Amino acid sequence: MALSCCSAVHELRGQADFVFALAGNPNVGKSSMFNTLTGTGAVTANYPGKTVEINVASTRLAELTIGLVDLPGTYALGAVSEDQWVARQGILDGSPDVVIAILDATNLARNLYMLLQLQDMGLPVVAALNLVDEAEKKGIQTDVGKLSALLGIPVIPTVATRGDGLETLLSAAVSAARALRGDTCSAGCEGARGSSGGVGASGIAGGGSGSGGFRLPSPARYGKDIEAVVDGLVRAIGPLQGRQLPAVSARGLALLLLENDSQFTELVGNAPGGRQLMDEVGQAAARIQAAHGEEAALRLIRERHGLAGTIADEVQVRGSGRELLSQRLWRLTTSPVTGIPILLLTLAAVFAFLFVVGNLLSGLFGSAWQAGVSPLLQWLIHAIAGNGVVAKILTWGPDAGIQAALAVGIPYVLTFYFLLAFLEDSGYLNSVAFLTDRLMHKFGLHGRAIIPLVAGAGCNVPAIIGTRVLTTMRERVIASTLIVLVPCSARTAVIVGALASLVGWQWGVAVFLLSGLLVLGAGAGLNVVMPGESSGLVMEMFPFRMPSLRTIAVKTWYRFKDFIFVAAPIVLVGSLGLGALYETGLIWKLSGPLAPVMEGWLGLPAVAGLTLIFAVLRKELALQLLVTLALVRYGPHASTLLYFMAPPQLFVYALVNTIYIPCIATIAVLGKELGWKRAAAIIAFTIALALAVGGGARFVLSAVGLG
Amino acid sequence: MATPIVEEYLEAIYKLKAAGKALGTTELGKELKVSAASASEMTDRLVEKGLAEKVPDRGITLTRKGQKAALELIRKHRISERFLVDVLGMDWKDVHDEACRLEHAISAEVESRMEKLLGNPATCPHGHPIPDRQGRTAEEPVRRLSGLKRNQAGTIAKIAEEQRSLLEYLATLGMMPGSDVHVEQVAPFDGPLLVRVKGATYALGREIAEKIWVKER
Repeated sequence: MALSCCSAVHELRGQADFVFALAGNPNVGKSSMFNTLTGTGAVTANYPGKTVEINVASTRLAELTIGLVDLPGTYALGAVSEDQWVARQGILDGSPDVVIAILDATNLARNLYMLLQLQDMGLPVVAALNLVDEAEKKGIQTDVGKLSALLGIPVIPTVATRGDGLETLLSAAVSAARALRGDTCSAGCEGARGSSGGVGASGIAGGGSGSGGFRLPSPARYGKDIEAVVDGLVRAIGPLQGRQLPAVSARGLALLLLENDSQFTELVGNAPGGRQLMDEVGQAAARIQAAHGEEAALRLIRERHGLAGTIADEVQVRGSGRELLSQRLWRLTTSPVTGIPILLLTLAAVFAFLFVVGNLLSGLFGSAWQAGVSPLLQWLIHAIAGNGVVAKILTWGPDAGIQAALAVGIPYVLTFYFLLAFLEDSGYLNSVAFLTDRLMHKFGLHGRAIIPLVAGAGCNVPAIIGTRVLTTMRERVIASTLIVLVPCSARTAVIVGALASLVGWQWGVAVFLLSGLLVLGAGAGLNVVMPGESSGLVMEMFPFRMPSLRTIAVKTWYRFKDFIFVAAPIVLVGSLGLGALYETGLIWKLSGPLAPVMEGWLGLPAVAGLTLIFAVLRKELALQLLVTLALVRYGPHASTLLYFMAPPQLFVYALVNTIYIPCIATIAVLGKELGWKRAAAIIAFTIALALAVGGGARFVLSAVGLG
Repeated sequence: MATPIVEEYLEAIYKLKAAGKALGTTELGKELKVSAASASEMTDRLVEKGLAEKVPDRGITLTRKGQKAALELIRKHRISERFLVDVLGMDWKDVHDEACRLEHAISAEVESRMEKLLGNPATCPHGHPIPDRQGRTAEEPVRRLSGLKRNQAGTIAKIAEEQRSLLEYLATLGMMPGSDVHVEQVAPFDGPLLVRVKGATYALGREIAEKIWVKER
């Protein structure tokens, strides 16, 4: 459902009276604010080739429709990382009437950095001082009036999770936007609609000062010599403005160029007269470097930090806050002595929850479907299509197919999404990443990958979506490939049902051990083979927070909705196809071509090969079908698999079933998350691996005299 | 006169010692990208020449003679870098490798004429001090952040990162020369460090912590 950012924002602009962008550091409660304000109607958009998303939705304030653009959480607005680039581009393209900067009251200095950067770009900013409740608990008091005066903008204290202060915030933003438009009419005024513009191309620095009393802050505030250099550049930019120059104020552009911002440097360099300007920038930067002994870009960053720190010190009083439970929890989870046992317990809990609760729900939904919906559907299909082959094929699709989607979707996917959202929002995922980073580096991953990997043992599908916590495509491909090799609960059912219960538990354990080794081997191998290297870890550690149930629910719902939209059609079509093969009897013709591989290489009866094809729908189906097909082919004696398969054959069968192609829902989600080319490569890899390992196991077993 | 290889060893030992660690052949080999065995062999040659010695507890150290040779080399390297940037107009990011070749080639005469032409600069383009002819340097002892233990603190002296985007990213988080860092926790198995900078806590991977040099407080 990813729209392009441009069209999503433009559509929003067409419908809304005002458009505000929400900007802020990661984990300051920006998403909570967005969700609380907009409910569940958000649209997700992204730029081509970028994984970082922007959320767009609208809300109402009195009679006004207000469009909100939720930018990715970032520490700054440079062009140095993808999230920062997307956040800045979202502002430039969206040209919001006002940017709402959300500040974390518990870490004001660092948060002010980005606000200052927004102001430097000449953008109209209204600030929300969020998490004031948490700051108070820590003994931090903020003088909001003074902060507002120093920044020259409205500052509204908020507690986003409770919705406190949000209406005041929106009203403040609306009056700021009105003031900027020079629009003095009362609420509900239609004249506001469509009189677009917001942050225009030029002339912002002067600012409007309408009825709202909002004005852009006086710009000069860094060191005197720096401001002199900037003034010189502003004069040089003046005549060029309006001519294909990017939509930021002259002062903003001067600062960006001094900071050697790659995007703007290129834009200006290509503009008419831009070369000359860039020469002047070069000289200006050299003057700053000569005066301060460090690069101009770094000097500006330092100045901005200095200003942010000074403002924060001036408006905040830090009392002696006692150590909070959250801080103690945090210490416990990052210290190796206590952290590793806690991690193991958490992983066990996630696994158990998926395995036990997921299985339970899966069984429940399955039987409910069979008892309630299935007969009705069958009746309906037979009523429409009669009793022929077509009707039988049709029952495969909606009946078996939807049941399969249901059995995987709701019990595993939904519960895992919920767990993942909880772990993310609580801040625990960061502790996990910290502790396991070294280990995961050996597989070209970093610490955050461990949660999806373990979740894969419940169900691969949500686990693959869970790899979104990783930052690069390389990491996501490696992690997804490894997840596919982790035996999920359905494959475990086959291992237990066909092997452990019939032949002996040691055989079952052997399959698990073997797949564990394959995961480790594949990880280390992929790390060597895949181009690129694992990125260095720089990650802020957030204090623990009790996640808001509402935010988690919304997050879970969005991800789940995405999954259903992608997986359901593929499962439906896939099951119809398999149904057609089965009901038309074509399936038996396939056993001929399969024979060389199945009988010749793996040493399995061809009929077992057929069930492996069907298991693509759902892995545990392999076992049921094996019994069914065996009854058709060998007669009633075949009800126990041992009648026609020896223990080593069952071992090879369970092994191959565990390793080769993930089920159809996994294929769907691989394609959606990584692209179909990468998905196809992963599928081909697992088939090759399954055949290699299966054949190898057969020959080893017969060599040691077990075959 | 020492060969370029000998000079490279002297330079490497000097730099690693500046980090304030006991230095073994494994570490030295790692720095110069050679095996520990060849580093050990070369160290023995340096000892023979009276340039280095092996001191119990402190590992390989330079003798006064070795130290002087190393500083002379560093001086030539940094003057060459200045020359490449200021006179030839090369980008400061690209000059390190060029200077590595020049430092072995130029004579004392060329070196002092270059210095004069440049107007006796105090630092190289990367901000490191240029030692004077007697080998005196304003450089304070610094060590890698990755070498700090739990609850140790320091002030960032420099960040030896050539990649601009990472350097800027760290700077926006407040990790730049002059900032104080406090190590709160070190992950097991040589894992990342938890550091406190400007009121926020970050997990830093080893490879990044190794590039950050701090003055211990």
